[in-house]
Amino acid sequence: MLSRRFLFLRSYFDMKLPNNFLISAVALAIACARPLFSQDLENAQLLNPTPDSWPSYHGDYSGRRHTRLTQINAQNAGNLTLAWAFQTNQPAQIKSSPLLVDGVLYFTVPDNIWAVDARSGHLIWHYYRPATKGDHIGHRGVAMYKGWLYFTTPDAHLISLDAKDGKVRWDKTIADVEKGYWTTMAPLVVKNHVIAGVGGDLDNLPGYLRSFDPESGATQWQWDVTPPTGTPNAATGGMTWMTGTYDPDLNLLYWGTGNPTPVLNGAPRPGDDLYTCSIVALNPDDGKLAWGFSVSPHDTHDWDAVETPVLVDGDFHGQRHKMLMQTSRNGYFFVLDRTNGKSLLTIPYGPVNWSLGVDKQGHPIPNRAKEPAPDGRLIAPDEGGLTNYRAPSFDPKTGLFIVDAHPSYSIYFAKPADGAYGWAGADYGLWGKGVIEAIDYQTGKIRWSHEVGAGGSGAGVMTTDSGLAFTGDGYGNVLALETSNGKTLWHAGTGSPMQSSPISYELDGRQYIITSSGEVLFAWALPERGQSAAKQTSTKLH
Amino acid sequence: MNKVKGLRVLIISTAVAAGSLVIQFTHEPIHAARQIETAPQGNANSGKDPGAESYAQHCAICHGDQRQGILPGFPPLIGINHRMTDDTITETVHAGKGRMPGFPNLNNGELSALVHFLTIAEPSLQGSGAHGNVPSGIAEAGEALFRQNCAFCHGRDAMGGETGPDLTESKLVLSDKTGEKIAEVIREGRPDNKMPAFNLSSEEVSSIIAFIHAREAAAVERPGGRRGVAVADLQTGNVEAGRKYFDGPGGCVKCHSPNGDLAGVATRYEGLQLEERMLYPRGAKSTVTVTSASGQKISGTLAYLDEFTVALRDSVGTYRSWPTNRVRYAVQSPVDAHAELFSKYTDDDVHNLMAYLQTLR
Repeated sequence: MLSRRFLFLRSYFDMKLPNNFLISAVALAIACARPLFSQDLENAQLLNPTPDSWPSYHGDYSGRRHTRLTQINAQNAGNLTLAWAFQTNQPAQIKSSPLLVDGVLYFTVPDNIWAVDARSGHLIWHYYRPATKGDHIGHRGVAMYKGWLYFTTPDAHLISLDAKDGKVRWDKTIADVEKGYWTTMAPLVVKNHVIAGVGGDLDNLPGYLRSFDPESGATQWQWDVTPPTGTPNAATGGMTWMTGTYDPDLNLLYWGTGNPTPVLNGAPRPGDDLYTCSIVALNPDDGKLAWGFSVSPHDTHDWDAVETPVLVDGDFHGQRHKMLMQTSRNGYFFVLDRTNGKSLLTIPYGPVNWSLGVDKQGHPIPNRAKEPAPDGRLIAPDEGGLTNYRAPSFDPKTGLFIVDAHPSYSIYFAKPADGAYGWAGADYGLWGKGVIEAIDYQTGKIRWSHEVGAGGSGAGVMTTDSGLAFTGDGYGNVLALETSNGKTLWHAGTGSPMQSSPISYELDGRQYIITSSGEVLFAWALPERGQSAAKQTSTKLH
Repeated sequence: MNKVKGLRVLIISTAVAAGSLVIQFTHEPIHAARQIETAPQGNANSGKDPGAESYAQHCAICHGDQRQGILPGFPPLIGINHRMTDDTITETVHAGKGRMPGFPNLNNGELSALVHFLTIAEPSLQGSGAHGNVPSGIAEAGEALFRQNCAFCHGRDAMGGETGPDLTESKLVLSDKTGEKIAEVIREGRPDNKMPAFNLSSEEVSSIIAFIHAREAAAVERPGGRRGVAVADLQTGNVEAGRKYFDGPGGCVKCHSPNGDLAGVATRYEGLQLEERMLYPRGAKSTVTVTSASGQKISGTLAYLDEFTVALRDSVGTYRSWPTNRVRYAVQSPVDAHAELFSKYTDDDVHNLMAYLQTLR
């Protein structure tokens, strides 16, 4: 315990190493006409990530969480083994998705960043900034641009650090922690914008998205989700706590917004409560709204619509479309035309009992009889939703949208004495289970489902070009499933369920899968050649 | 973890240690410094009392304007006279302890005034507006920790929020005057209910407990403005309709009897707890029969089941497990009938069934 507390900022980085590396990197760069070790993450790399990187929260701007890597495939997945494990030696669960740039992994829990060698799992540096204020509910990861990291804090600051050693360059305020805001999200870098959102629905506060200058930290623009607090008959809320996606051709940023406040009492905020519980398209250069689509009009169940807005170009019933797909927390799967926000498909992907169906524009119609009431309403899904912040994955070969679903029921209460501020009611989960579902995006039909345990799993999903889907179950097993049919090809027990989304990269010809469980980060890979031979020998001996 | 419980209580109740925590942080107490800068002039404790002046000058930067401490780094000093003798306090101030610097240059008069100030009654916290019902500085320190670690689920006022219940109505909280049971839940979590365990120091835990009890007291003082669900809220159903549902479409009689297992159920549970158990009894046992490759059958209580492992506890309590691909197994899980009803209930069915069960006294 004491040693953890002392570990507030420690650098293990040997400056001689990068200098030597830089010299050879320059030589190699000249030879290959391509920077191999730059420490500079440029826009080109963010637009077209190389296989030796995972340079942004989702891995690329599309949010598909799909890797082109194929070394690990259906034939050899059964041989996967632990390459290394990194112990953070602190109690917070890892909920972040690591970045991988220039052979270094960067991942977080609240107040902490670790930089870890991606080949060995050895610590390079650790940054610790204990915030005495703000919610420490979780942390999703950092963003990187050129040689700098961008880190959000429980007390709602945005901090820029040197990726080499974790030294702070500047510290800016995203929101006022005293009002009740906090931040957990991994910012998104688009061109010369660092875009960060906020959390905070314990109070009636407006959500917003803010863009910062990557060099100076100056605010470039702010887009407000709702009118200011105190506007008559208007909702507040719409927190922007998950990383969005970006289409460079349309130059549009896609973002999901959270639930309105007061949370369970909808009476003071009649109407659709725009743009809470919505998917919005913004111009990343000025923050101007291009279009918005209400996913849960007049939400009264805390179903943030912040799940990944996944961007897919492809066929939809015979016509080519630029699509946006979301498995939303409210239980509906949405396919939109992302050029204009028009609906292509809205369909439940599990038990949903709170709506009267879907209107012509593709919005679910909330059933007023299912709003929280003094004597309780039985609601599916529960407040955690049919899925939550952990990422789904889109597999281009099969056209399957794979999501960790959570069929569930709960009871929701609200009465006048609960007031009209913050939570304003109470709800209680009754039952739920975890099911990995493969959704046919053109019809919404569930092609296969794979049960992952009572209660639910909480793991995100990543698919590979070799036909694998990596995820986890509710018991702490990491799973490799066959994307086409959901069959288990490999598993490893880690002792604690995954609360994050897997990533993958290839270094020195070896593909790694990174997962986390509890407070430990795991790297999985096929045995190296020497080990593989040893394994064969030992097999023969048996 | 369980073995140290007794010790833990001892630590909580007797050693809200001045010394043991002081050394834990090496960063600048920025937060504390800001509080000092913005503290209004004429603070209740500054002014005429030389001990208070000395405290404000030397101690408040770390231990807080009101002696409430700044956890987790700096312990509260309220009630320090219950934990340390005047001599020990004097010695600690003079020589320092751990990371806490010593103040050898204080003259005897100032030192004794300071010690006197530290050992007099708790300061009034009337200036701390937003939480006027919090009675002690320890609870105030706990509030900060509660906001960081607990408020997301239990609400910032401990009266319930996202996924977490109202703690001011919790039976465990209401019955746990010493804080022992709350401390256990904080340290060990409740894995069945997805509450994580927290690795906090004894001082931190006791401050959180003080805050929860302060909120409980505040809630009792202000009835009516409460969240949570009262027994009276759950009286909208019709007993006769509930009985019909129980006997008919609910299919409850397949497993239950109002004169058998459910006789007197409404005396054992009430209100929300009864309704939750009615809808889905958590922790209900399943049984399993495992057939080994050789054809041997073993039955017992299902202890674990995932894709890869099935385990049971047999009649003498022994835990046995098998890889699922080496055996055949059959699970009997009567509680599944509750999950199957979810998609069939109307809200009226739920309320009527509840009305009927409440007659089973």
